[in-house]
Amino acid sequence: MNATFMPFTKILLTFAVAFWAILFDDPLYLLGLAAFVFVLLLTAGIVKVQGKAVGMLVVFAIILGLVQYVGGGSLDSAYVTALRMLCMTWIFLLLLVSTSLQDLTAALVTQCKIPYAYAFMFTAALRFVPDFVAESKAVQEAQACRGADHSGSFLKRMKSYLYVIQPLLLKSLGRSEMMALALELRGFGNEDHSFVSNVTMRAQDYVVTILLAVITIGFVYLVF
Amino acid sequence: MLRVSDVAFGYVPEQTLFKDVSFTIESGEFLAVGGRNGCGKTTITRLLVGLETPRTGRIFYNDTDITGWTPAKRSQYIGYVFQQPDRQMFRPTVAQEVAFGPEQQGYSRAEVKEITAQALERVRLSDKADAYPPLLHRGEKQRVAIASALAMQSEILILDEPTSGQDGTETKELLGLLQSLRKDGLAIVLITHDMEIIASQCSRVLVMGNQTKAFDGSPEELFTKRDDLEALGLERPACVSLSMAVPSLGYCASMEEFTKRMITYKQQGGR
Ligand SMILES: Nc1ncnc2c1ncn2[C@@H]1O[C@H](COP(=O)(O)OP(=O)(O)OP(=O)(O)O)[C@@H](O)[C@H]1O
Ligand SMILES: [Mg+2]
Repeated sequence: MNATFMPFTKILLTFAVAFWAILFDDPLYLLGLAAFVFVLLLTAGIVKVQGKAVGMLVVFAIILGLVQYVGGGSLDSAYVTALRMLCMTWIFLLLLVSTSLQDLTAALVTQCKIPYAYAFMFTAALRFVPDFVAESKAVQEAQACRGADHSGSFLKRMKSYLYVIQPLLLKSLGRSEMMALALELRGFGNEDHSFVSNVTMRAQDYVVTILLAVITIGFVYLVF
Repeated sequence: MLRVSDVAFGYVPEQTLFKDVSFTIESGEFLAVGGRNGCGKTTITRLLVGLETPRTGRIFYNDTDITGWTPAKRSQYIGYVFQQPDRQMFRPTVAQEVAFGPEQQGYSRAEVKEITAQALERVRLSDKADAYPPLLHRGEKQRVAIASALAMQSEILILDEPTSGQDGTETKELLGLLQSLRKDGLAIVLITHDMEIIASQCSRVLVMGNQTKAFDGSPEELFTKRDDLEALGLERPACVSLSMAVPSLGYCASMEEFTKRMITYKQQGGR
């Protein structure tokens, strides 16, 4: 999966899986779909390196299902919600982990015809996520070493997170200013764009694209 | 004072970073921690402050088992200065930044102010009390981080490579400060790659290597008796090499000491 398919194919796959997940409302089908996505994650080696993220998404999906159930939904609808969420977030994880952000931007602009500024904003926002996580960890550790207790009651924890978030927002403001400056200096906003990444589709990409289309039509036919 | 007993640790389950690590830190000691990049120097100090939990083994403070204590609880005894000082700052002014620790410890407003002022005085940053930390230069940030740790009024101060990227004057000032803190009875633990600092400043060296503690003893013993220095990612400082080249001159911990001894040596007619 990693080097063999072009980003555009992966974007199509992501949308196809998301579409299928919405299409199905039978927990069994969704379970099958989740299993399929899991196999993809497994073959791409993502379960191994990003096991924690894969697991977190499971927890997240379960929580969502619980909320649905507690909120008065049937058991079936809770399964459906949780599994849908799981399929969609897992496939999105696959897309993000297996594609470099440059390639993704290039594919979004040249093939999905999304304006460059928007595509850039999307990928830039994504790039901040790991930074943000690392920095919030650093600040929490610094505070812990100076006597801040991040455990305790829910309310107390929330309050201490406020202490963490506040400096982070300040820091990211500073950083986005720096980035804007760096971008301007490097000619961001020019009309013409060329990309270093080569994202031209190859034979196997067309095969998968056609396959996805056929499967999608098949599923639509099956459901309706 | 602090005792590490048979500790093993690894970040990933199937990998062991080090095992069978035991050592003690006594008050008034100036302990250097050395070794190759990635040998686990930072990690061993993270275990001491409680940011990581050992896989096996225990950590004691004055014979109390503190292995299960949170970093917050340990912070009254152990102050920590991280490798990157600007990543650990999170408040809008230097004074507020330093005050965070004592505030958490539950001191009154007046006491917090007093402790903060003292800590800033100690690192000679009193005039920068209202400055915005991210705008300070590196040496000053480093001192804010040290003042923040001092404000914890701990008995042990751990610093992770505080001299890397600093110029000569800043380094000298920092070392002077650490020595004066040590005279006041603090135990200093200094992670460093600087062999001259190890030789001239430290009373003891702990070297991590080969997935365990590779050496624990005086700098003199390390630099004169060990023949695997290179394998451990260390090298003999110039002053020691030079002093060893001159027969019967004796061990010299710094260049100044070497020059001084050479002068008397010459005067006494040695060749
Ligand atoms: N959070 C982490 N998760 C996984 N591995 C880690 C983590 N932190 C450090 N490591 C790895 O553990 C090893 C020891 O790291 P550590 O930071 O303790 O080394 P160090 O001796 O301080 O190195 P340096 O001299 O570069 O500061 C390194 O190989 C590092 O890549
Ligand atoms: Mg380190």
